[in-house]
Amino acid sequence: MKPIKRSAVCADNSFTTQSRSRAALRMLLFFVALMALLALSMLLGPSGIGIPDMESPSGSAILSLRFSRLLMGMMTGAALSASGVVFQALLRNPLAEPYVLGVSGGAGLGATLTILAGTGVLASFSLPVVAFLSAVVTLMMVYGIASQGTSGQPSVYSLILSGVIVSSICSSIIMFLVSTASVEGMHNVIWWMLGSLQPVSAGQQLLSAALLFGALAGIWLLSPRLNALALGREMAHYQGLHADLVIVIGLLFATLLAAIAVSLSGMIGFVGLIVPHVMRAIFGPDHRKLVPLAALGGGVFLVVCDAVARTLLAPVEIPVGVVTALAGGPFFLIILQRRMKQAWIA
Amino acid sequence: MDSMMQPDAMTFRNVSAGYKQRKVLDNVSFSVKEGEFVSLIGPNGCGKSTLLKTAAALLKPLSGKVELFGQDVQHIKPALRASLLGVVPQKIESPMAFTVDQIVMNGRISSMGRWGTPSSVDHDLVERSMIYTDVLDLRERFFTELSGGEQQRVALAMVLAQDPKIIMLDESISHLDINHRQEVLQILMNLNREKQMTILLVSHDLTLSAGISDRFLLMEAGSLVKAGTPVEVLEPEVLSRVYNCELHVQQDPYTGYLQVTGAIDSLRRRQKLNRSVHVIAGGGSGIELYRRLLIEGYDVTTGVLNRLDSDAEAARALNIPAVLEQPFSPVGSDAIAQALKMVADADAVILSQVPFGSGNLVNLTLAEAALNSGKPVFLADGIATRDYTDGKAALAFSTRLMQIGAKAWHSMSELMTQLQLKQNR
Repeated sequence: MKPIKRSAVCADNSFTTQSRSRAALRMLLFFVALMALLALSMLLGPSGIGIPDMESPSGSAILSLRFSRLLMGMMTGAALSASGVVFQALLRNPLAEPYVLGVSGGAGLGATLTILAGTGVLASFSLPVVAFLSAVVTLMMVYGIASQGTSGQPSVYSLILSGVIVSSICSSIIMFLVSTASVEGMHNVIWWMLGSLQPVSAGQQLLSAALLFGALAGIWLLSPRLNALALGREMAHYQGLHADLVIVIGLLFATLLAAIAVSLSGMIGFVGLIVPHVMRAIFGPDHRKLVPLAALGGGVFLVVCDAVARTLLAPVEIPVGVVTALAGGPFFLIILQRRMKQAWIA
Repeated sequence: MDSMMQPDAMTFRNVSAGYKQRKVLDNVSFSVKEGEFVSLIGPNGCGKSTLLKTAAALLKPLSGKVELFGQDVQHIKPALRASLLGVVPQKIESPMAFTVDQIVMNGRISSMGRWGTPSSVDHDLVERSMIYTDVLDLRERFFTELSGGEQQRVALAMVLAQDPKIIMLDESISHLDINHRQEVLQILMNLNREKQMTILLVSHDLTLSAGISDRFLLMEAGSLVKAGTPVEVLEPEVLSRVYNCELHVQQDPYTGYLQVTGAIDSLRRRQKLNRSVHVIAGGGSGIELYRRLLIEGYDVTTGVLNRLDSDAEAARALNIPAVLEQPFSPVGSDAIAQALKMVADADAVILSQVPFGSGNLVNLTLAEAALNSGKPVFLADGIATRDYTDGKAALAFSTRLMQIGAKAWHSMSELMTQLQLKQNR
């Protein structure tokens, strides 16, 4: 074994300090940018950027409406993005996200049934719960199908394949339900499916917020273990983790997050896929940092997209999912081109 | 080192293990003392990796039990298990761009607190492991960008950071180039000597392992066939049988190191042989024989085979002259006459483990003709189990052949030795 060169170690340490301060600066810039973007979204209206007249009742109403949409966006975006982080880590696959695995589709089916079945206070409470339960059932189905003929662990490819299949079955059933529904039910479901950050009832918001914080905290607790699982289930086992238990808990939390997002805002695509990748490209794959940063980043990204969606063609509102894909896609490509090396090497 | 006084670090008690339908380990028992350096050897697919997985409680034994320091490994808490036993796999793959620092820190994962915040002890262990494996100056680099040798040293650093008492390596060094292999082995030897770390190394390099191991465990088809010092285990006859090829073991007169060689000898012979062997085969039973005979340097002919038979296809692919009969038809007299010419030109005739029915029974007359002209004939044993003729005609025929001088063969290596003896005589 070679003797350690003292000088090399010193040089190495200074390198570490340098890169640490660079990382801290990057983090600071990121937070400043997030705050600025949030403020901008609050001030952006059909007539451009400006502070509405707080004295007039309409001005304060506008601000309060924008604020509640901001809350909806933060919650939905954070849920989708954190969910994507976990799916990508556990399946060790850059394509994994709630949509690909059929989880969102299952949640959507459950939500559609709830919307068509009834209205009123009960529906808004049961929406997240039913969405979560149907998402879990879907995940179990996907997992079960993918495990057929293997000794226990399904491969990532069969998981994604069966996810895509189950997902399209779910959307076919939704289409069928919509086509046979009453005009009003059809209107409700389609409007909801397009994805929108129209505030839901206060009760549902509170329930969703509580579930969201619970799931995020759970995932954050798991995050060091997600790092170990990135080297695979077998290696994580050797390093002393209950690997299978961590995987199951992680999948459940990620499914809960996806269900929260779907029940709040309908089907909004892309956020769960791209925000985790962008965050990983900027801040690296360490999940202890990545989970909170992706949640924040996903929230702000969706808020900004919503601000664009409601102002660009005002008074007509573009579905926010259209904006996330149209605006996010090119941005995603640029970031990936530049920094893929630091994000994901597949 | 007086390892006899040490307690058992790892004990297998009548362990059978495997996967859903397939039993891979069959009633394996052995123990490794604390501080021992043991090499686990055996051909591909003999169950070495399964043994490691069972030892690390990744696989649950179907029967029997594995103990680490006297405790049943299935009942040890994962975090404690990780502090007793570390596994360096064949290769680790990180799909995401973790730095070397972050990868090595994973070794501390089960000892860190709930929040995954490393303590100073964790940092010290990580630092020390990286110094030991000489990867400290790679710490800021992306793991995925490193060379294979560097990655393997990082993997070792990660496992060392667990601070385990036993380290198992699953062919982790086989694909390293020679300098990195030496370096990793040197690290392992230091750990073994200085820290009394117990090491179980799955190895394909018998010579290299012989130089550093206290003991060898030799596996064949899921069973432990021999355990002992390198000199005891590295016997040419045993190795040649287990590895199914001819191997030589020499001891260096100066260093005392054992050296296991094989391939070069056969290659040299290949050019000189000018001998021809006729193979009676069918149904895929001849492919391995063709391959082996060609490698050894014999000229090979074969027949009579049915067209479309997998042996006929193999013969065509290997450019082996063959007498062919129509598909799914009994062997006719024209074909036999042609094959008899081939036998007349051959120096020996080998009968593969071909099943016999009424259609190909006549092929045995080829062996008879060879015996009558004084040529050696080798019959695969166990013909009774492959005899589908009425009244066990093939069995009777082969018994008669044995009486007039045919030899039985059981394993490929044994057959090659017998062929060679006949040839030299």
